[in-house]
Amino acid sequence: MPRLNFWTIVAILTWLLLLGLLFVPVGSVLLSSFYDEAGNFTLVNYAKFLSEPRFHQAFLNTLVVGFGGLIGALLLGSIMAFCISRFVIAGARFVSLLAILALVSPPFIGAYSWIVLFGGGGLVRQWLRAVGINIPPIYGLTGILMVFAFKFYPYVYLMVSGALSNVNRSLEEAAEGLGLTPLQRTFKISFPMVFPALSAGGLLALIHAIADFGTPRLLGRGYNVLATEAFALYSAEIGSNMAMATTISVFLIAVSMFFVMLQRYMSRRNVYHGNMINKPIKIKLTGWRNALAHFAVYAIGFLGALPVIISIVYSFRKTSGPVFQPGVSLQSYERILFNLADVVRNSLSFSISAVILIVIVGTLVGVLVARRTNLNTSLLDGAFMIPYVMPGIVIGIAFIAAFNTGPVVLTGTAAIIVLSIFIRRLPYSVRTTASSLRQISPSMEEAAISLGYSPFRAFLKITVPLIVPGIVAGGMLSFVTAINELSSSLVLYVGSTMTMPVRIYLLILDGDFGTAAAMSSILLVLSGVAVYLAFRLMGRNEQALL
Amino acid sequence: MAYLAVTGATKQFGDFRALDDVSIAVERGEFFTLLGPSGCGKTTLLRSIAGFNDLTSGSITLDGSDLRKIPPHKRDIGMVFQDYAVFPHLSVFDNVAFGLKPRKVAAPEVKKRVGEALAAVRLTALAERMPAAMSGGQQQRIGIARAMVINPRLLLMDEPLSNLDAKLRIELREEIRDIQKQIDIAAIYVTHDQEEALAISDRICVMSAGHVEQIGTPQQIYGDPQTIFVARFVGTLNTLAPGAALGKLVSDLRLPADGIEAWAARPERLELAEPGQTAPEGAASLAGSVTKYTYLGREAHVQVETEAGPLIVQLADPGMGGGLGSGRKVSVVIRRDALMGFDAAGKRVATEA
Repeated sequence: MPRLNFWTIVAILTWLLLLGLLFVPVGSVLLSSFYDEAGNFTLVNYAKFLSEPRFHQAFLNTLVVGFGGLIGALLLGSIMAFCISRFVIAGARFVSLLAILALVSPPFIGAYSWIVLFGGGGLVRQWLRAVGINIPPIYGLTGILMVFAFKFYPYVYLMVSGALSNVNRSLEEAAEGLGLTPLQRTFKISFPMVFPALSAGGLLALIHAIADFGTPRLLGRGYNVLATEAFALYSAEIGSNMAMATTISVFLIAVSMFFVMLQRYMSRRNVYHGNMINKPIKIKLTGWRNALAHFAVYAIGFLGALPVIISIVYSFRKTSGPVFQPGVSLQSYERILFNLADVVRNSLSFSISAVILIVIVGTLVGVLVARRTNLNTSLLDGAFMIPYVMPGIVIGIAFIAAFNTGPVVLTGTAAIIVLSIFIRRLPYSVRTTASSLRQISPSMEEAAISLGYSPFRAFLKITVPLIVPGIVAGGMLSFVTAINELSSSLVLYVGSTMTMPVRIYLLILDGDFGTAAAMSSILLVLSGVAVYLAFRLMGRNEQALL
Repeated sequence: MAYLAVTGATKQFGDFRALDDVSIAVERGEFFTLLGPSGCGKTTLLRSIAGFNDLTSGSITLDGSDLRKIPPHKRDIGMVFQDYAVFPHLSVFDNVAFGLKPRKVAAPEVKKRVGEALAAVRLTALAERMPAAMSGGQQQRIGIARAMVINPRLLLMDEPLSNLDAKLRIELREEIRDIQKQIDIAAIYVTHDQEEALAISDRICVMSAGHVEQIGTPQQIYGDPQTIFVARFVGTLNTLAPGAALGKLVSDLRLPADGIEAWAARPERLELAEPGQTAPEGAASLAGSVTKYTYLGREAHVQVETEAGPLIVQLADPGMGGGLGSGRKVSVVIRRDALMGFDAAGKRVATEA
């Protein structure tokens, strides 16, 4: 049977791909942390990690920002999800849009926008000082946690609002009938029902908070986390310490993995398949309660989207060098057009190449995982969890460790950036393809076979047309992540392969916020178009963004 | 040789034996039903005939040719699915026409045949609609039209009505039966609904745990079950509790007792009489008292606690009266031919004099 051979080949190639782009690089990281510069086996790096207070502090700080970001995101996200799915909120779709804006906004720009408002010479601080209120600048832990809360709350919001609108109202009515107070009902019925979504959204916030290094870098002012330590050790011009950077990467992976396992363990039994006979209704609040709900939702929405709004506004401001002047102009865009067009071109061509690879490979592997379930494909499915929890900076360092020397040298090429984006986003594509396939009954293909179509033609004629909209939409969303990807590119770029997020980061470090804002706005427009196209293709499915 | 013959079919899934030496024979134009509880192997057998899974051993021949050598898409067998399997991206017309494309039927001919098929399932008016918004009954009609338009050599139906509501199920099963007779095709129908099987079939094959219990006409299956499994699965069955009362009853009726482990009777073969009344010729009675009265409209079920355990007696046309109150003393009249005897292995023992 030729079809069996085809899928066997796909399975073999997928394992080779994982081997080359994941196991070998990550394995190199693991290994190189065990060797000193002379190439001798040593545990000195680990001993150093465990003995140096600097690393202890970074480890502790990572956990603090991780949990701080988690708590902030859970708080804001659940409030917003609860209000929007249970109360009538005017302009609820607009608020959701604000959440999506926060989610797709280019990285770093958030941190910088908060500095613009609340930093040393921040606008809001100056206004407040003018009316006699002194607030400290937001550098340090407070600032990091605020940015994380407002940047990562959409993960929780999108997950939980989906779950909340799927809780069968009969369950709450039954609890009411049994005499539970509204508060008891919330904690005993609704909370356990949405717990899997809550923990999944929280996990995403936690993993992103742990992996993020731009925000602590810009706002931290000495508040170092593992990601910034790894990057600093890697990029230091004098005394670059690759072995120590990889050691820190190992700890970063371990922390991420630990929380993924913990979340899986905690929500292992909580899978509820509600029947949707009795859909939840939205209550229309009145008076101060209504005002409070609206205020909460809009405040969270606008504060989350604030970086986007600020960078769009600032991108049109007149500048003289890096200094803003009164008045409106297109100078910043002109500078991009004349000096930085190659960066935009790089970003576009890298992202598009990565997305094409992701769509093709992701679809094939997704079909393999969903339709040919056996031990091999189950293992494959599990292996795809690894890039999911891998912080970008670690993938970057791992690629450098693996492809700097040896049989395949890719350092400094466009390929290395494309491949790093590819391997990081591939799991999402595999999962969306597999889940859309699982929703198509296998009897659909069998019907076509019984009507005289060979298995392969049945797949092409029936299954493919049904999953194509989902695949294309998934590709669009992969494009959004690809073009906004920063942390691995930052490790992997050289002058000729610079991408827009990297350039924005460097511009902000140089203090050229006008150009950074204009470039962020371009990035935002590109992401917006992709999200719009994806929603047009598959309906407004906000959870697909996660 | 029969039109479709399955001989010695065995299917092993790991440690689980889904089919164990199953043999059936289906004639041209016959409506043949596989009946049994879930997990009995009926769907596995059907899918082996369709070609979606291969047997571990055994043979399947259709009109003399070995089906196991033919890949499923060349078997020319129409199939109707439990979940309809209607293609959501194609219109009703295109769904039905789908199977004609690989058969290279000319366009005017396609139009004619699809039109006829849609008329047969009464969907002509909906030909251009998309199936997504249609009801389950309409979607299954598409499935039936799609399977029969290719003029298959055999029509297979895998619980086609089990996702529909009760009323529609009865309506559609009559239609399926009429269409099958009209186009005169051999059909194999899988169901776990015994009433449906009795209503629709020429012959029924009752299966349990991968093997055949009994093959026969609906009358034979219901009225003359060969195993206690068939008697229990098809219809309601009273099993009499062993003991002195049962022993006396059996000897009163002059039935043989040798080798019989269990005695059973259908509720509609039992009658109620006033207590103490002498049983008519060829019958015996058991004294008891009513424990439950269930009114079902055209009939009523009376549960009576007797010396031979609880028995359900069916009363035809119970009328408007309040029925029988709990505790009411009655006697249950059992005619000699109402009792069926089964041996230790559950096999029927002949008790005719």
